[in-house]
Amino acid sequence: MGSYFDLDDILAEEEPVGVQFRVAAAGVGILDPSAEENQVEVGSKVELPFWLAQELWYSQAVSLKLPNFYNERIRKEVKADPGCVDLRSRCPYFYELGCKLVPLAQDATLGSFLMFSLRGRYRDLLCKSHTAAGTVTPKFLARLTREETRLFEAGAESMKAFRKWRLEGTRLEKAPVLGKKRRPTSDTPENT
Amino acid sequence: MFGRKGAQLCVELLHTEEDQLSRFNNDLFEQVLNETSEHFEQLEARLTKMHEEGLDAQTTKNADFYGGLTHHTSILRNKRCLLAYIYHRAQTVQRLRWQLGAVLPDDIQSKLSYSEKNYFKQYSDSLGVYMSSIDLDLSVDLSPPKDPYIQVKVLENVGNVYLDDQSTSLLRNSIHLIKRSEAEPLISQVRLLCL
Repeated sequence: MGSYFDLDDILAEEEPVGVQFRVAAAGVGILDPSAEENQVEVGSKVELPFWLAQELWYSQAVSLKLPNFYNERIRKEVKADPGCVDLRSRCPYFYELGCKLVPLAQDATLGSFLMFSLRGRYRDLLCKSHTAAGTVTPKFLARLTREETRLFEAGAESMKAFRKWRLEGTRLEKAPVLGKKRRPTSDTPENT
Repeated sequence: MFGRKGAQLCVELLHTEEDQLSRFNNDLFEQVLNETSEHFEQLEARLTKMHEEGLDAQTTKNADFYGGLTHHTSILRNKRCLLAYIYHRAQTVQRLRWQLGAVLPDDIQSKLSYSEKNYFKQYSDSLGVYMSSIDLDLSVDLSPPKDPYIQVKVLENVGNVYLDDQSTSLLRNSIHLIKRSEAEPLISQVRLLCL
């Protein structure tokens, strides 16, 4: 999967996953809000970020529960009309996280479900990215996951580059970092 | 705790548009470092406890072992977040050298951390040494030219400069036909506009 420095890969692993502890773990009481002592007891159910859940799963300390955006209800929604489901609000890393969960989960249908969703949404996405170039379509974009947004942008970019090439646009450009309106330098850090 | 802050650093990078640069987030960076040391102390405490009980950390799998494992994983996770943050900024700093030349404008300077400034300087020096050793300015003609001369409009007073071995005064709003290779760095700095 992604490289060590890949930001999207890092953030996909930050998504919470529900786990149940099969063993006790001392000194990590902060993980379980209901813990009375500084310890997680056997059988307690907590939500951990994926990177931690994965590591503990490998050493057989926890059992995993699939996040609920992979459950039957969502699957039915996707089957009815893949393009209309708002996947971003469920999980912006729907596909990435799903791929990482496939080897860990007992659910054998997860992989094919992910494939089905992407395939169902892809054609619509590509079509819109080619025709809607230039004008914004926020309503549609708000439903896309990170991966899909990138696909959409790539489609729109390539259409733009094609038009520029056909009209022989200018080739010398200013440095993009100066492109924004220069703000007066102040000491407050920029909120980005 | 447990990597939340490290992920925040990465989110910040991701929300900064590509080719833009935000200020080095020293505050959050420090917090992640402190958190990592805290994890390390906790890990050490677990290991010492197991040692005192005469248990072998390699084979025993008790509560202390799993607690330690959690902290250990958290340390690795924080390390990954911090390195990714530095790495991506370093890439941007490298790009700046190609886009803006050897001297950075003040507002961009102020966004870099001390070591990033150093990095920029050393990168710029190495590139300079290399370019002078092959006697070729690599930072011009990034896209292949069609005509050696181009017409430009001056956006910002530059003053008298030597272009093509003769003195030319680039006054605001005047229009010149000059060599492309000489115009390119000035266009990149938004001082000239290509017509």
